[in-house]
Amino acid sequence: MADIPRFTRPQWAVSIAAALVVVGFVGAAQWNGSGVRQQFTSSAQQVLARQVLDLQREEGLLTQQLGAKEAQIRDFQARSAGSQTTLDSLNRQLEVARLAAGLSRVQGPGLVVEIADSKRVVPVGDNPANFIVLVDDLRDLVAALWASGAEAISVNGERLVATSSIYGVGSSVLVNTAFLSPPFRIEAIAADGILDRFQANPAFLGRVKQRIDAYGLEFATATATTLDLPSFVGSTRLRWATPVGAQL
Amino acid sequence: MGARLAQISLFGVALMVGMLLVGQLRSQARPIELNSLTAQDLSALIETLSTRNSDLRAALLDASAQVRDYQLGGDRGGSAVTVAREDLERITAFAGLIPVKGPGVSLDIEGSLDPIAVNDLINELRNSGAEAIAVDGVRITARSVAVQGSGALVIDGIEISRHFEMQAIGSREGLLNSLNRPGGIISQLKLFVAASIVASPEEHLELPGTRQDLAPKVARPVE
Repeated sequence: MADIPRFTRPQWAVSIAAALVVVGFVGAAQWNGSGVRQQFTSSAQQVLARQVLDLQREEGLLTQQLGAKEAQIRDFQARSAGSQTTLDSLNRQLEVARLAAGLSRVQGPGLVVEIADSKRVVPVGDNPANFIVLVDDLRDLVAALWASGAEAISVNGERLVATSSIYGVGSSVLVNTAFLSPPFRIEAIAADGILDRFQANPAFLGRVKQRIDAYGLEFATATATTLDLPSFVGSTRLRWATPVGAQL
Repeated sequence: MGARLAQISLFGVALMVGMLLVGQLRSQARPIELNSLTAQDLSALIETLSTRNSDLRAALLDASAQVRDYQLGGDRGGSAVTVAREDLERITAFAGLIPVKGPGVSLDIEGSLDPIAVNDLINELRNSGAEAIAVDGVRITARSVAVQGSGALVIDGIEISRHFEMQAIGSREGLLNSLNRPGGIISQLKLFVAASIVASPEEHLELPGTRQDLAPKVARPVE
């Protein structure tokens, strides 16, 4: 008995024709998209954008190297602990200070808040910027979490410390030295009841809650029994500030 | 033979569709829309990133020197104690636990600022490289936020008067340029709040340590 081909010529020809139509459609969309982006970018902007990308790459490398050095320092301190009373005491104080400063990885119960751009179709005449997460939304959420008793917060894995800013560049967000894009996941370690306190906090109710309701920003909260927040990796060096009369 | 040809053709087409779809989806994501930023935005971003990278390089040099000190110190306890003491001083100052002094800027503020405005000012100072900030004598830590109290603004449980001073230690030029630039935080706030905000350079500022207990109650360090 002869093998029966799975596709007769007309059948697979139709399948390939249909697939080629899809390829053509997607390819055209891709081509058009590239064209639009190209139009946005003058040669001067391209040079500047390349510089930004280079600086970001350098930042990633420096952060990685600094993280490795800090791990080495912690290792030295851990190994020297107990060798002498003074050193032992200093190392214990260092652990406490690192914890307070956000320089230690921490675990604990808390709240996860996620926010992302709206999936609604922007009505004609409406401002598209209303439908995306803005830097003010993140600042308000973080302020509400601190005000609700959070002990440690990270935004998309970037731990917030005393020098951290949440800074908007166009529609992008810079936290510490990292560029973040939606969805934004804010994790906060805090004592029981954080969700209720957060939802009742004026910093949440003031602007961001109204934008979530009005423009359909994607938003969710969930309590967690154990969150794991990374330590801050970045510069803790003070160029201008000098400690005064420290009794250490 | 025909079936083999059909399979190969379909594989090729599916591969192309997959690649194009991935490209299309990626192009629709909102990672860092550098192409949509103006030259002015890009220049500001380059300045910010350059400053932060320069800080990171300096911190890396310090950390490398510290590692070297530990390595050279070896069993000599004295050297390790000195390094640990310096480290402790740096970290407690960074966290806002101890008083610090240095040059910077002070902002004389009078009027009806809401908590958002005060928090935005603090955020702007941090973004401009402030190493330590205090509002009306209250040292700002990672956890400090301005909230509306019953009759006045409150930071870390302390009421802030209607006429108050915000101080920040850092590069005077850098902080002032950032605060006073056209379209910057001060000019923006003046559009929305009835307040007078005057920033001045200061040669010598002394900021207190926080009175807050920053030791976490529920967060535990992970080895």
